[in-house]
Amino acid sequence: MRRAGALAGIFLGMVAGAASAAVDPGRAAAPRMEFVPPPPGSYKLQRIQRVSDALLLDSAGHPVSLSAMTRGKITLLTFFYTYCVDPLGCPFAHTTLAQLRDRVRGDGALAGRVRFVSVSLDPTHDTPAVIATYGQEFTNPPKFDWRFLTARGVPELLPVLDDFGQDISVEMDENGRATRTLHHMLKMFLIDARGHVREIYTLAFVQPRVIFNDMKTLAWEARPNTVKSTRLDKLLR
Amino acid sequence: MRIHRRVILGYCVAIIVSVSSPLYADETCNSPYMAGLIKGQEDFVHVWTLGVPGAGDESDKLVTIDVNPASKTYGKVIHKISVGGRGEAHHMGFTDDRKHLWAGGLDDSKIYVFDVGTNPSQPKLIKTIDNLSAKTGYAGPHTFYALPGRMLIGNLSNIADKGGVTGMSLYNNKGDFIVKYAMPTSAIKLVKGDGYGYDIAVNPAKNAMLTSSFAGWNNYMRDLGEVVKDPEAMKHFGNTMVMWNLKTMQPEQILAVPGAPLEIRWALAEGQNWAITATALTSQLWLVSRDPQGLWQAKDVAAIGDPAKIPLPVDISITADAKGLWVNTFMDGTTHYFDLTDPQHPKETYSKHTGSQVNMVSQSWDGRRVYVTSSLLSKWDKKGKDDEQFLRAFRWDGHELTAAFEIDFAKEQLGRPHHMKFTANPPRLASLTDKSAR
Repeated sequence: MRRAGALAGIFLGMVAGAASAAVDPGRAAAPRMEFVPPPPGSYKLQRIQRVSDALLLDSAGHPVSLSAMTRGKITLLTFFYTYCVDPLGCPFAHTTLAQLRDRVRGDGALAGRVRFVSVSLDPTHDTPAVIATYGQEFTNPPKFDWRFLTARGVPELLPVLDDFGQDISVEMDENGRATRTLHHMLKMFLIDARGHVREIYTLAFVQPRVIFNDMKTLAWEARPNTVKSTRLDKLLR
Repeated sequence: MRIHRRVILGYCVAIIVSVSSPLYADETCNSPYMAGLIKGQEDFVHVWTLGVPGAGDESDKLVTIDVNPASKTYGKVIHKISVGGRGEAHHMGFTDDRKHLWAGGLDDSKIYVFDVGTNPSQPKLIKTIDNLSAKTGYAGPHTFYALPGRMLIGNLSNIADKGGVTGMSLYNNKGDFIVKYAMPTSAIKLVKGDGYGYDIAVNPAKNAMLTSSFAGWNNYMRDLGEVVKDPEAMKHFGNTMVMWNLKTMQPEQILAVPGAPLEIRWALAEGQNWAITATALTSQLWLVSRDPQGLWQAKDVAAIGDPAKIPLPVDISITADAKGLWVNTFMDGTTHYFDLTDPQHPKETYSKHTGSQVNMVSQSWDGRRVYVTSSLLSKWDKKGKDDEQFLRAFRWDGHELTAAFEIDFAKEQLGRPHHMKFTANPPRLASLTDKSAR
C-alpha cells in the first residue's frame, strides 16, 4: 500500500501540472518503408509469448479481464496516456490505428474479426471517465471493436507492463519531482485469437501495410484447413 | 553537473530522433530498433571478459569501467561480476529497451542476461540460458541482435560435428526459446550457401537482414597456429553472406564473399543502399550494395593493410554519418581509419599501432572517443610477451588518436577483454518499478 500511495503521488504530481500540456502534435510521419511487403499468408508469425491475464477497467468503469480483451479476435494492443503530446508517440500510434481501423472495416476477411485495445499507462489521471472522453474520437463510427482500458491503480498496472515488456519512466525535474512527461518505448502488440503475441511493432516497424498483412496472415491461419488449400492471393487480396 | 553535459535519448525521445535523423551511429553495433542510444558522453564501458587459468577467480566476467572524465573513478574498473566458469566469453548485445545485456559463451553455449538498466554502474546477473544447443542443435552463440521484444542470436557452430554449419535462434526477452532458422546450404540464384554464420545486421526500412560467416568450434577453439598450418582446417571458413527477407525470415540472396566476412554495418541514412564488412582471411573491405535491378551485389572495394601479410582484420566501427570506418587488424596490432565518403572507393587516411594484438574497436556516437580491446579468442591470442591484455581508450580529433587511459587486464587479474558495450546513467528518469522513485 505504501508503494501504491507513493506511486499515486507521482502521478498526482504529474496531473497537477496538466493544465498547459495540450499541444497539437500535428500530423505524424510514418517510418520509412522502402519495400513491398510480403503477401499475407506467405510467411509465419512466430508465437512470441502468451499474454498473462490481469484485471483492468473499461471506459465505463467495469472490471474486465485482459484475457477477454485479447482472445477470440485478432487484437492489436498498445499502451498510451491521454495527455501524451509526443508526435511520434501515442498520437502517432492512434492515428495509425485509426487508419488501420478504416481499412479493416472495409476488408471482407478481417471485418468483425479484429479488435484494438488501448491501455492507459497512467491510471491515476486516466480514469474510466477520462479514457471514455478520449476514446470517443476513435470509437466513432461505433461498428468497430476498439476498447480503451485503464487500471484501478498503478499496482494493478505494473504486472501488465512487466508481462508485455513495456517499460516506462517518469521524467523528474531538477528538484527530483515528477513532471508531466512519461517516457515509454512505443510498442504495438499483435495478438492472435488464442492470446499469443505474434508480432511487436516498435516505431521503425509501424508500417500500416505490413501490419495489415500480418492481421490477414493471422486470419488466414485461423481458417479451416479446407479453405487453406485455396490459392492465398486469390483468397486474401 | 555531469547530467547536463549528456544527452541520453530515452524511450520516445530516442525513437523520435532515430526516425527523424538520418544519422545512426553504430554506437557501435547496436540494433537500430534500440531505445536510448547514447549521443553524448558515455558513463560506463562494460567488457565481456574471458577468464584465464591462474588469473583472479579464473572465471568469465562482465567488467565495468568508469569512462566519464568528470568522474572521480574515471579510467578505473568499478565493478566486475563473474559467471562462475569459463565458456569462452565473446560477444554481447542489448535488448530493445537497453535494459538488459545478453552475453554468450562460444565454448559452452551458455547465455548470460545482465540487468544494466536498473543501475548500469553495477550490473546484475539475472538469468542464465543454457538450452540453446538442446533446442536448436547449434552452438557458439555469437551475435545478439535486438528485435522488438525478442533477441535474435547468430550462432557459429553445431553440436553434431562442431563444424561451421549452423543457424540463428530466436528468444523472447523473457528468455524463452521461440524458433530457429538454419543458414542456407543450398543454392539461391546459382550461388551455393555454406551454412556458416557470424554477424547479423538489419535495415528496417528495406526489410533486409544481412548475415555473415566465420567458422565452427573445431577452428575457433583450436590454436590459431595449428589451424593455419592445416590445409583441411583452412577449408572450413565461411565464404558467403546472406540477404534475408526480415519479415518472412527467408534467405533471398547468397553473396560470394570469400575469406570469412565478419562484422556488418549498414549505412542507414535515407537514400543509402549499402552495408560494409571486412574479410578476416583475405583482408578486404567488401561493399554490399543494390544494383539498378534491385539485386544485392558484393564487391571488394579496398585492401586493409597488406593482405599478403594476413593482418587479420577483426572488428569494424562505422561513424554516425557512415562517412568513416575504424578497422582493427589483430596480427599487426593496428587501428586503421578509412574515409567512406565514396563507399565504392574507401581510402585509408590514418593508422596507428595500438597494441601487440588488438581486436574490438568501439567509438562513441560523436566519434571523439575510441576504445580498443586486445583479445580475439583464447586459443588465437598471441603467446608470450605479445599476449598483452588491455582496454585502451583514445581521444580522436579527426587527425590523431591520443591515449586517454588504459586498463591492464593481465595486471589486474581480470582475464582477456573482448566485446565492449556502453551505458549511461539516465538523466532524471524514475522508473515506476524503481524503489528510488517511490
